Amino acid sequence: MSTRTAALLGATLLLTACGGGGQIGDSGSSGNTKRMVLIPGVAAEPFYISMECGFREAAKAKGYEVDVQAPAKFDSTLQTPIVTGVLANKPGAVLIAPTDDKAMAGPMKQLKDAGIKVVEVDTKLEDTSIAVSTISSNNEQGGQLAAQTLAKLVAGKSGSVLVLNTKAGTSTTDARAKGFEDEIKKYPNLKYVGQQYTDNEPDQAASKVTATLAANPDLVGVFATNLNTGEGAATGLRNAGKTGAVNLVGFDASPKQVEDLRGGAVQALIAQDPATIGRTGVEQAIAALEGGTVKRDIETDLVALTKADMDANQKYFYKQKC
Amino acid sequence: MNAATDVRQRSIRQRLFGANTLWIGLVLLVLIAVFGAIRPDAVLTTFTLQTTLVETSVLLVLSVGMTYVIITSGIDLSVGSVLVFSGVTSAMTMNALNDGNATTAGWGTVFVGLLVALVSGAAWGLLNGVLIAKTGIPPLIVTLGSFGAALGAGQLISNGSNVSGVPNVLSNSLGTGTWFGIPNLVLLAAVVTAIGALVLATTRFGRYTYAIGSNEEAARRVGIGVTGHLVKVYLLAGTLAGLAGFMALAYFRVASITGHDTDNLNAIAGVVLGGTSLFGGSGSVVGTVLGVFIPAVLRKGFVIVGVNVYWQPVAVAIVLVAAVWFDQSRRRARNQR
Repeated sequence: MSTRTAALLGATLLLTACGGGGQIGDSGSSGNTKRMVLIPGVAAEPFYISMECGFREAAKAKGYEVDVQAPAKFDSTLQTPIVTGVLANKPGAVLIAPTDDKAMAGPMKQLKDAGIKVVEVDTKLEDTSIAVSTISSNNEQGGQLAAQTLAKLVAGKSGSVLVLNTKAGTSTTDARAKGFEDEIKKYPNLKYVGQQYTDNEPDQAASKVTATLAANPDLVGVFATNLNTGEGAATGLRNAGKTGAVNLVGFDASPKQVEDLRGGAVQALIAQDPATIGRTGVEQAIAALEGGTVKRDIETDLVALTKADMDANQKYFYKQKC
Repeated sequence: MNAATDVRQRSIRQRLFGANTLWIGLVLLVLIAVFGAIRPDAVLTTFTLQTTLVETSVLLVLSVGMTYVIITSGIDLSVGSVLVFSGVTSAMTMNALNDGNATTAGWGTVFVGLLVALVSGAAWGLLNGVLIAKTGIPPLIVTLGSFGAALGAGQLISNGSNVSGVPNVLSNSLGTGTWFGIPNLVLLAAVVTAIGALVLATTRFGRYTYAIGSNEEAARRVGIGVTGHLVKVYLLAGTLAGLAGFMALAYFRVASITGHDTDNLNAIAGVVLGGTSLFGGSGSVVGTVLGVFIPAVLRKGFVIVGVNVYWQPVAVAIVLVAAVWFDQSRRRARNQR
C-alpha cells in the first residue's frame, strides 16, 4: 500500500468517524451557521434556476450567506460528490433536491450527522428521518387544475380527452395524471379515453396523439404531463392540422413553453411555483436553525396559465437567470 | 431442391419465397389487416397513413445507416446521441446567425443549419470509424463511448436545455409541408432510403460492405481496403444521423436533449427485424424499411384499437421476438435442405 493510499484511507476513516460519532467538528468551530447552500437536481434548468432565485432572495433578506452547487446532470453519481464537498465546508443548512430517492440517503445522512439542517425541495428521499422539512409541488392538485382548465377551454363542447404520461411508475407525472382523472369525471361532457405512456420520447407522444385522433375524431383536449410529452403532442396536433382545435394543456412554464403558449401551439400551462418552493425552504431551514417551529411536509400550489391571463401572471414564468 | 442446385436454376417463385424480406413484409401486411379489420374507419385512412409515415421518417433515416454498419458485423450505439448533438449544433448556429432567434430567418440560414448538422454527424461518424478500423477496439465499446460523449457534448453546448428558435420556413416546408399529399419529410426519407438501397445492392461499395461482414480477413486478402471501407461505413451512419437530427429539428421545432435516449435501440431493432444478421454479411435496406414499420404500426394500432396501456410494451416485445424467431427457424430449415 502506497503512502498516498494509506493517507487517503486514513482520511476516509476519519471522515466516517466524524460522520458516525458526530462530535469533533460539531460545535461550530469551523462551520458557519449563517451560511446556506442549495443543491438543485440539475444545473441550468429553468425550473431550478427559478427556485434558486427565490432561495437567494429569501436567504439574503434574513442575512444569510448563500451558495448554489448544481450537478451537470440529474444523476445521483454526480450529485453525491457535491454533497460531500459541501459537507467539508459545514454550512448551517442545506436545501437539496435529491436526484434519487434511495441512493442520496447515504450522503444526505452524513450532512445530518454533521449537524447540518437538511431541507428537501422539489423531490424527496424514501427515508423521511433525514430532512427536517420537505417542500414540493402538489402534483395531484396540478392535475386537477389541468382538468378544470381544460373544461373551461372547451366551454361546454363535448368530446374525448387524453392524458399523455411519461413512463409507468414516475411518481410526479403519475400524481398529475391521477389528479386529472379524478377531476375530469365531474364534467359529463368530457369523455376520458385514458392515459398513454410515451417513454418520455416526443416522437412516441406525437404518434399516440395522432393515433388517438384517428380512433376518436371527437378529441377536444390533451393533457401532457411534462415538457417532452407536451412538445410531442404539439408536433402531432400540428401534423394533423388540429392545432388550436384540440386544446393542449402542458405542464411547467419554461421559456420555450411560454413562447408556445403565446404562439398558440399550447392553450394552457400548469405552472409550478419553484420560487416559492425555494423561499419556503429557506424559511423552514431558518426555523430549524434558530429554534422556531418546523413543518415536516409542505405542498405548494400550482397555477394555470392561459393566453388570456398569461401577461398578468408573468411572475410564474420560469427564468433562465435571476 | 438440394444444396447442389445452381442458384440460377431456381424459379422466380422459389427465389421470392426464399427472400427474407417477403416474410417480414407479410407480417407487416397481416398486422395492418388485423388492425384494419377491427377499426376500418380509423386505420385504413389517409390520415393514419400520412401520420404513421411522418412519425417513422426520422427513425428510418437512422436505420438506413445502421443497416450498413450491422452488415459489416458492427454496431453503432451512438446514432441517437449524434442526432441530438447535430440538432443542437445546427439550431444554435442558426440562432447565432440571427441574433439569438432564428424563427423568422430565411433559406440561407436553413442551408447553413443543414450543413452544420451534416458536418457534426459526419465528425462523430469519422471518429467512430477511425477508432474502430485503426485501433481494433470493438465497435460496441467505441460507440458506447461516443453515445455518452456526443450527448454530453450536446448538453455542454446547449447548457443542458432544449434549443428552440427553429426557422419557420424550415418547419413549415420540411416539417409539416406536403407535396401532392405526401409529407415532405417522408419524401426526403424515401429518397435517402432508395439511394441507400441502390448503393448497397448494386455498387462495389455495397459488395465490399457484405464481403467485410462475411469475413473480414478474407476481404482483406482479396485486396479490399477494409480499414478505409469501415471508416466510410461509420462516416455514412454518422452523416445520416446528422441528417436525421436536422429532420427532427424541422419536425419538432426544437432540439430536444432528453427525448432520444432509445433511438439507437429502436434503429437496431428495426434493422434486425428486417432480416439483417447481427453477425454481419447479410441483410437489405428494403428489409429495414419493413422492420422499422412493424413497431410503428403496432404502437399506433394498439392505441387505435384501445389495447390496455400496460399490455402495449409486452405485446410489441412478443411480436418483435416472434417475428425474428419465425425468420430464423425458416432460414435454418432452408439451410438444412
